[in-house]
Amino acid sequence: MRLVRSELLKVRTVSTWWVFGIIALVLWALATGVNWISTAVLVNPPEGTPNDDAQFNAVREAANVAANLYTSGQFFGLMIVMLIGVIVVTNEFAHQTATTTFLTTPRRTAVILAKLAAAGIVGLLFWLGTTLLNFLVAPLILGLYDVPSQLGTSALWQAILLNGLAYLIWAVIGVGFGVLIPSQLAGTITTSALYIGGFFAGAIVLNLLADKFGDWWNNLQLIVPPLASGLLVTGTDLPGSPPRWSGAAVLIAYALVAGVIGTLITRKRDIS
Amino acid sequence: MSDGEIVVSGLTKRYKTLLAVDGLSFSVRPGRVTGFLGPNGAGKTTTLRMLLNLVTPTSGSATIGGSRYADLRDPLRTVGAVLEASSAHKGRTGINHLRVICAAAGLPKKRADEVLELVGLTPAAKRKFKGYSLGMRQRLGIAAAMLGDPRVLILDEPANGLDPEGIRWMRGLLQGLAREGRTVLVSSHLLSEMELLADDVVIIANGKLLRQGPMGEVVTSMTTTAHVRVRTPQADGLTAALSGLPGATITPRGDNTLLVTGVEAPAIGKAALAAGVELHELTPERPDLEGVFLELTAGKAGIR
Ligand SMILES: Nc1ncnc2c1ncn2[C@@H]1O[C@H](COP(=O)(O)OP(=O)(O)OP(=O)(O)O)[C@@H](O)[C@H]1O
Ligand SMILES: [Mg+2]
Repeated sequence: MRLVRSELLKVRTVSTWWVFGIIALVLWALATGVNWISTAVLVNPPEGTPNDDAQFNAVREAANVAANLYTSGQFFGLMIVMLIGVIVVTNEFAHQTATTTFLTTPRRTAVILAKLAAAGIVGLLFWLGTTLLNFLVAPLILGLYDVPSQLGTSALWQAILLNGLAYLIWAVIGVGFGVLIPSQLAGTITTSALYIGGFFAGAIVLNLLADKFGDWWNNLQLIVPPLASGLLVTGTDLPGSPPRWSGAAVLIAYALVAGVIGTLITRKRDIS
Repeated sequence: MSDGEIVVSGLTKRYKTLLAVDGLSFSVRPGRVTGFLGPNGAGKTTTLRMLLNLVTPTSGSATIGGSRYADLRDPLRTVGAVLEASSAHKGRTGINHLRVICAAAGLPKKRADEVLELVGLTPAAKRKFKGYSLGMRQRLGIAAAMLGDPRVLILDEPANGLDPEGIRWMRGLLQGLAREGRTVLVSSHLLSEMELLADDVVIIANGKLLRQGPMGEVVTSMTTTAHVRVRTPQADGLTAALSGLPGATITPRGDNTLLVTGVEAPAIGKAALAAGVELHELTPERPDLEGVFLELTAGKAGIR
């Protein structure tokens, strides 16, 4: 427990957290803007939109429109939280504080676990922050289009809570990657590229495959982590997409693998 | 068991083809300052890092008070270490750096203020580490090592970057700590400083032990014959007088100075008196650590 406190103190005593907080705020504002537009489109679809597309109609359900708004900012929020996880580890090597850290606590597994916990807590704080903002803004946007606030719908609350789980898990994945790639520059660039590239490349490739070879390929969304976290916040299960719990299971598996490999490597590594 | 003796035995570290440390064994006694010496690349830092569980030995073992560092229940209260590359986050203040360590080690927060006071950094406590000078960074490292009031201190080139006042302060600090019965192991290249500071020395080169023992013994062990410097206005007369003594060799050094080997100072004085030769100076030349060190490591020095 004192190790977790020490790790949180490390985060608190440097400027990283508020720099990232400001970036997250800006990106959240952008995302919310985009979601506002998409809300407008979903509630009043343009003329000529086919009204027999099952997935489109599911997305249009009021609960799901609301879920989208109440979890707004997820895509970049998760990336920021992941980067914080990466930095929590790579800072130790970039600033050569690993020596001091492992002198203070020679049990390296305990140090990594403390970092996982601390990054997870920071991740949840970011989730809490964006969720509070969404609670301020989402009812306003929904009100503009005469959609009720949906706060009584269980699907909405599930989406919000699963979103929190996503923030937690991505922080853990970040720590795992940080241990795998201890160079700060390489670590942050690689993970961001994988996150953004994985999202778009995954989405495009799977769409093509699904068009050519059938909808089964859409299930593979699961194994692309940034797509899997998107699944968590859809509100109700969408037709043609894998169920939401499977997205959570896959993300947890990724986090576990990254964390375990990272810990094993750290236990062996020479600190010099 | 818990006396804080450091025992290194058969310690070996291989980096690819390079044997950085090669079957090294020595021990460090409590209550004394031990100097750890060796040319650049001799393996000092690697040895200290293995002792502290930062680098995994290829073979051999190193223990502190009978246990490996990794097995110490309360490492910071047992061992304080200042290593070459120990550093702090550039954007964190000195005091916060220490508080982070306190939190992890379960030490009270006020220890951070106390050790900052001890090393004279209090005025810079709230400044960020990136603004610290080399000497201030070194002092912060020493402060961190003192947090747990440890029984054993391990320092890698602690004098690096300290001003003369700082070096003297550190000498006093380390000798004081040794006198309280603590174990102090210090690596350094500053041989004259070592000679003032250390009670024992361990000298290594190419990862292997060359000499270990009390400073005086190690220094005299290398010089089998006495050197005496004599200054006299009657150099010729003294040379004649000394030529009668068995074993004496005389080397003129110019400026009325002779270097005499093979006879002790009292015998020279007596011969001079008998011959009526006037002496201005009669100084037995102590072999110094630097001479011994260079002689020991001759041909073994050099970056590998
Ligand atoms: N991580 C590493 N990888 C490869 N070689 C290393 C590594 N660390 C040290 N070495 C090599 O091991 C040898 C011993 O290095 P070490 O740092 O222990 O020497 P040292 O006695 O502390 O030298 P100095 O007086 O210059 O500080 C050197 O030849 C060095 O190049
Ligand atoms: Mg060194």
